[in-house]
Amino acid sequence: MISFRRPSKQATAVVLALAEEPAAWRYGYELCQRLGLEASSLYPVLMRLADRGLLETAWESDVPADRLPRHRYRLTGPGRVLAGRLAAEPPARPTPARAAGRVRRRPRLEGT
Amino acid sequence: MSRTRRLGLVGGLAAVAVAATPFACLWALQARDAEPPPANVVLDIAIWTAVFGTPAMLAAWLLWRAWWRQAGQRLSALDGPGWLLAAAAATLPVDRRHWGPAMAAELTQVQDRPARWRFAAGCARTALFPPSGSRAAVSVTGALAAGAIAAAAVLTGAALPAGRLFALVLVGLLGGLATLAVARSRWVGWTAPGPALTGLALAGVTACLGFTIYYLAEHPSYGGVDRAAAVSLPPVTAVVLAVALAGCLGLALRPPRWLLPDRKARWFGIAMAVALVGGFLLDARLVQPGRNPGSHGMMGYLFNGPLLVILPGSALAAAVGRSLRSGLWACAWAVVLAAPLLITAWLAEALHWDQVGRGAVLDGAGPMGVGVNLGDAVWWPLLFLALWALPLGVLGAAAGSWRARRRRSRQQARLAPTA
Repeated sequence: MISFRRPSKQATAVVLALAEEPAAWRYGYELCQRLGLEASSLYPVLMRLADRGLLETAWESDVPADRLPRHRYRLTGPGRVLAGRLAAEPPARPTPARAAGRVRRRPRLEGT
Repeated sequence: MSRTRRLGLVGGLAAVAVAATPFACLWALQARDAEPPPANVVLDIAIWTAVFGTPAMLAAWLLWRAWWRQAGQRLSALDGPGWLLAAAAATLPVDRRHWGPAMAAELTQVQDRPARWRFAAGCARTALFPPSGSRAAVSVTGALAAGAIAAAAVLTGAALPAGRLFALVLVGLLGGLATLAVARSRWVGWTAPGPALTGLALAGVTACLGFTIYYLAEHPSYGGVDRAAAVSLPPVTAVVLAVALAGCLGLALRPPRWLLPDRKARWFGIAMAVALVGGFLLDARLVQPGRNPGSHGMMGYLFNGPLLVILPGSALAAAVGRSLRSGLWACAWAVVLAAPLLITAWLAEALHWDQVGRGAVLDGAGPMGVGVNLGDAVWWPLLFLALWALPLGVLGAAAGSWRARRRRSRQQARLAPTA
């Protein structure tokens, strides 16, 4: 049983994106493009998820000699449990500032 | 000429120019202060400056060449965003080291130039400020640091006004370093370089701090050259001393990852620091009293000590570790440890020299008051360690590793026909 504290919006988006195809490996830049996140937002989220054992990381194997091996990510078992809980929860209520339209909303996940 | 070679050459020349800059400044300052400045005096100073500067320039060239040989091929293929990311990734803490190559590999997937810059800048920001394990620990450390700065301001204002700036800068730097260390680490705690080294550094910094406080309390000023009272610890000197002590403590308690791996080098560093400071004390107590009072000080030792200790010590460390790096690490640790210890030894000896009427420790000049030694004890050992001992250590390490490499290749050549 994992302890549950609602993650940030970016972390939620990353977890849900990874949970769409739980068995598939994803790449950092691919996630940035898909979620419209900057690298400065994505990588801290990935680091935290990996620290908490929610994210499995692995290096690409069988890479051509002229290319660097890429780091791949997918959710672990507890990560998938968290994704299920996040998907089942109602979305967080917007803050007054967001509701007033003063803060630019982050791009939403495809299909949400 | 290939791009890699051209960049290597330009970088090497830039490194030499950077190494020569402090010596050019010293020459300009001395030539300006020489009264009157006849051409032969200026030339004389120029020759001496060149003699002292040559090891530093050679060392800069050797260091650049060794680094470029290892990393040049890879780095010369990088563009601006690649350089930015590589430089930032080099600062990642040990427990997050693998994220550097992970981000660098993703950068190769970004084609558009503005997007490459944006991606590299985002990765660099993450590398410089990776998420910390405990925000509470960062907040507590920051609050403690702020409290310590306030306490230092109040305490020195009441009890030690001459040391106020020194205390504020030192406490501020230590608090900042502690907060940064906690913020950049996944786990609270540290990887110290071993109890002997950390203990020696702590002892050196504590003793140096004790003597500085004593001097500031008892001898806050002295009769200057023109007999007008001069402050024992002027503002610039106070800042330099605080930076040096905070730097030594920071390196000994939380060293960068590239200084850690070689255990033997650390022991060589400890041995060289102890030998350098021991030699200083022996020279001050046994050799100097036999000379004419007023004609000699410890300036000669600052020149000879590193020649006798750091140069061969670093060469030996490199030969034993069979690599340039072992010698460089040993030399770096020796300088880090020797800095507070030499200042302490200088200040301690100054009290003794004053008692027996031998004048200032630097050159035996006097009597101006014992307070004159505080500024000398900060500037001269630090200058000689940075501009003389470190370059000699690099040259020694290069010589030691060259000998080890030659011996290895001879052994391989001897084994080859029998194989």
